[in-house]
Amino acid sequence: MSVLREKVDSISNKPLPHLESRVITPEEVLKLTKITDTYLCDPDANIYDIDFTRFKLRDLESGAILFEIAKPLPDNIEDNVDKNTENEEIVDPNAGRFVRYQFTPQFLKLETVGATVEFTVGSKPVNNFRMIERHFFRDKLLKTFDFEFGFCIPYSRNTCEHIYEFPSLPPELVQEMINNPFETRSDSFYFVDNCLIMHNKADYAYNGGMST
Amino acid sequence: MGFLTVLKKMKQKEKEMRILLLGLDNAGKTTILKRFNGEPINTISPTLGFNIKTLEHKGFKLNVWDVGGQKSLRSYWRNYFECTDGLIWVVDSADKRRLEDCKAELNLLLQEERLSGATLLVFANKQDLPGALDLDGIKNILELDKIKTHHWKIISCSAVTGENLLTGIDWLISDIAARIFTLE
Repeated sequence: MSVLREKVDSISNKPLPHLESRVITPEEVLKLTKITDTYLCDPDANIYDIDFTRFKLRDLESGAILFEIAKPLPDNIEDNVDKNTENEEIVDPNAGRFVRYQFTPQFLKLETVGATVEFTVGSKPVNNFRMIERHFFRDKLLKTFDFEFGFCIPYSRNTCEHIYEFPSLPPELVQEMINNPFETRSDSFYFVDNCLIMHNKADYAYNGGMST
Repeated sequence: MGFLTVLKKMKQKEKEMRILLLGLDNAGKTTILKRFNGEPINTISPTLGFNIKTLEHKGFKLNVWDVGGQKSLRSYWRNYFECTDGLIWVVDSADKRRLEDCKAELNLLLQEERLSGATLLVFANKQDLPGALDLDGIKNILELDKIKTHHWKIISCSAVTGENLLTGIDWLISDIAARIFTLE
C-alpha cells in the first residue's frame, strides 16, 4: 500500500490496472503498521475544497497554548497566489501537506491536552467526513485517532477539539523519542464517503532547547 | 429495534455519549461549550458551521456538537440528529422579543423522530444580564410542562460566570446513563 505510487510508475507501460483511480479506504489505512512512504492521494483529490485553517494545542492543566498556527485570511491568500503566478514560481504540489513540529522534552510530560483543528468547506456539502490519524515512533504505533465529523455545511467554518489524556509511554521509549528527532511521525487521512481525499504528514522532535 | 440495541451495546462498551447543543443564534452555545472546557470566551464570533469537542467527563466520553443557530443554518440541523443521546437547548433569557421563535424551533425539534430518544436539557442562559427572565418565566413561555415525549429539565445558568453549567451537564449525563447504560 505504501508503495502505491511507485507501483503505478513501474507498470505504467502495461495496459490494465487503473491503480491511480483506485480508492483508498479507512479499513486499509487502519491496517498500516508504519508511516507511508508516499502520499496515498493527489492534492487534487480534495474536490470539496476542504482547507485546514488553524491548528492549536493547549495544556488543560495550565490553560497554556503550546502551539498555534493559523492560515492568513482569504484576502491575503489571494494576494499570495497572484504573486506566485506573476513570478512563475514552481510550486511544490506537496507544500502544505507536511508540517514539522519541534517541542521540548517537557512536552512528553503533559497529562491532558486539547488539539483543535479548524477547517473550511467549499460550495459542496460534505457527507461522512472522517479523520484517521496514526502516530508512530519508528514502527511502533503510539496512537490512533479515528473520528467521524459526519456532515459539513457548504461554505462553513468548523472546529473540532479533541481533549485527551496523553498516552503514558515507558520512560525508555520517551528517551528514545527525545534522542531521535523526527523519527516520531504521523499520517493524517481524511475521507469523504469512505474515499481518501486528503493525506497530510507531520514529524516531531522533542529535543528543543537541548544542546545537540 | 435490533439495530438500536446493537448501537446501544456498542456505546455501552466505550461509554460514549453524543450531545447536540442547539438554540437560536446568539443564545450562547459556543460560549457555554468553551466555558465548560476552560477556554477563554472573550473572542467568540458567530458559528458558521459546527464546533465539536470530545472530552472525558465522569468516566464517559462525550462528543458535543455545537451547530450554528443563524436562520440560514437551521435547515442543516437535521444532519446532526442521528444517534443523539442528549439535546441541550440554549435560551437567551434576556432576548424576550425572540422567545416565541425560540419556542417554535424547540417544538420542531421535539417532533423529530431521530431525536425521540434524547434527553432534553434547557439552559436558561444569560442570567447575569439585567432584565433576564427567570427560570419560571422561560419555562412558562416555552410551555415546557407540556412536554411528555422526552425526559427534560430546565436549569438557569450564565455561560459568562460559569454558574450552573456543571450542574446542568451532570444532570444530563446521569439521565442519559440511566436510560442507555443499564439495559442489561
